[in-house]
Amino acid sequence: MAKKRLVKRNVRVLDSLPMLIVCIAVVAALYVACLTGLASNNAMRYMIQIFLYMTMGEMWNLLSGFTGMTSLGQQLYVGLAGYSVAVATTKLQLSLGIGLALGVAVSVVIALLLSLVLFRMQGMYFSIATWVVAEAFEKLFLSWKYVEQGSGMTIRVVPYPKISEICAASLTLCVVAVAVVYLLLRTRVGLGLTAMRDDITAASAVGVNIFAGKLLVYVIAAAFIAVAAGIFFVNKGIVYPESGFGIGWTVSMIFIVTIGGSGTVSGPIVGAAIYVFLQEFLAHYPGWSNIILGAITILVIFFLPKGIMGTLQEKLGFEIFSAKRFSFARHR
Amino acid sequence: MYFVQIIVNGILLGSVYALLGVGMTMIFGIVKLTNLAHGEFIVLGAYLATVLAPVLGVDPVVTLVITVPLMFLGGFLLQYFLIGRAMKKGNEPALLVTFGLSIILQDVMLMVFSADAQHIVASYSKSTVKLGSIEISVLHLVLFAISLISILSLTLFLRYTYIGRAIRATSDDSDAASLSGVNINKIYAVAMGIAMASAAVAGLCVGMKWTYYPSSGGSYLLIAFVVVVIGGMGSVPGTLAAGILFGLAQVIGGANYGLLISYVMLLIVLVVRPKGIFGK
Repeated sequence: MAKKRLVKRNVRVLDSLPMLIVCIAVVAALYVACLTGLASNNAMRYMIQIFLYMTMGEMWNLLSGFTGMTSLGQQLYVGLAGYSVAVATTKLQLSLGIGLALGVAVSVVIALLLSLVLFRMQGMYFSIATWVVAEAFEKLFLSWKYVEQGSGMTIRVVPYPKISEICAASLTLCVVAVAVVYLLLRTRVGLGLTAMRDDITAASAVGVNIFAGKLLVYVIAAAFIAVAAGIFFVNKGIVYPESGFGIGWTVSMIFIVTIGGSGTVSGPIVGAAIYVFLQEFLAHYPGWSNIILGAITILVIFFLPKGIMGTLQEKLGFEIFSAKRFSFARHR
Repeated sequence: MYFVQIIVNGILLGSVYALLGVGMTMIFGIVKLTNLAHGEFIVLGAYLATVLAPVLGVDPVVTLVITVPLMFLGGFLLQYFLIGRAMKKGNEPALLVTFGLSIILQDVMLMVFSADAQHIVASYSKSTVKLGSIEISVLHLVLFAISLISILSLTLFLRYTYIGRAIRATSDDSDAASLSGVNINKIYAVAMGIAMASAAVAGLCVGMKWTYYPSSGGSYLLIAFVVVVIGGMGSVPGTLAAGILFGLAQVIGGANYGLLISYVMLLIVLVVRPKGIFGK
């Protein structure tokens, strides 16, 4: 049965030279729009949000959609990065760049330490444990005097970066994130990851190093989410334990990936754009926003189980940024 | 004597935590589903009791006569028509459907009941009894009795009735149970109904013990998770033991470190005995 499906599906993988040129052109156009002031401040505000959510969505997708590690605790790294930036810039009067770097460093160290505990679990045990760890950190920060306990820390960055600079930085981050996910998935390690997601025992039996693969993905996700979150909090200007370590971050990531298409590199890109505009639109209907987001999630699961990009790719027979290294259809 | 007081308080408190976990453990163990909406089900149960008690002019505990069957029906229909269908698409879609339900319910409750803090008051809320040198609140005793009776009756139901046996068979091996003529979809729906009925009871207890908000579901869900994982998924007696352990940690650690201690305890259990203390 499996064999039949492989032959029938007429997949064209669109990552040849023309595709690369289109991508570079789009990214270049976005840079020009950011840096020359072609885009209005309002437009850039949206773009920043979209780029940052794209990065986070892409990372959650790498964890859940490609590796099968459905984490409910990625907000841990959001909070750690937010507080790192706050401590570095406001308490220690260091530059923003050092603050972001500190966020990444702290996140990576914590991710490495936690991997020893978390990776002993699989499936829903892993999901629950990640969430519990994030909650434990929230409680810790709520009672930690150095970070002002529950009253939160303000973030004062001097000199405050221009919105166009933040926009360009977010775009860079997002491009690097997509490139890293795409390139990683096409390596030997990446193929091992998807094999692991589909059947962990079989993958292990054919020689995939489960622990190393998981660790690599988990650390990459922690680092990128930390940078994205750091930029977010610079924009927000204040970080609380509840806003940093809240489950809401993972809720957004899950929504973005589900809508866009879990297990496709292009899915979170589309999902993040939809999410940001939907949120803006729903702001006019206070009280209804989660009802509509929830209803959309359920409808998508029932009618577009592979998300928007997943379904489109299946119907139209193409793949953008495919994780596959070869396509079966070319032989026919 | 102070020590005895703490132990007694911890055990009484723990019985409420166990009740939070019972519905969750049913769904984990039998339906093999992570129900992210269980916290909202509990809050819904609390609101139902809050609204019904003054309307009927009875003690809040009596409202269970109405809320338990109502919530059972709700859970049955939800599983039969929505979650069950998502489960056919795989584990992750089902998880995401319960996630969607949880955020929908949260906002619906926010709209209907407003964001104000709620509390269920009974005539005995503030009274205490003295046993020797220790003082016990009557409310805690009532909650302890409710949770012990619920957990005991659930255990007996699972052990001695036909449906209970079918549920246990399905939990052990759903294919084999289905081959012996058990209607799996119906059993799953019954299990979800029981879980939701237990959420009605848990909601009442939570509402009488603490103040709650439409957004409280997340923290109850987390407590339920911790209790279920420590106790071992699908084990009702394990849930009781874990709940009491959790309650003791809360009382000993106090407001600041109670939860932190429980979370660390959970991580240790997960590392040392990943299937929980009572897990198979």
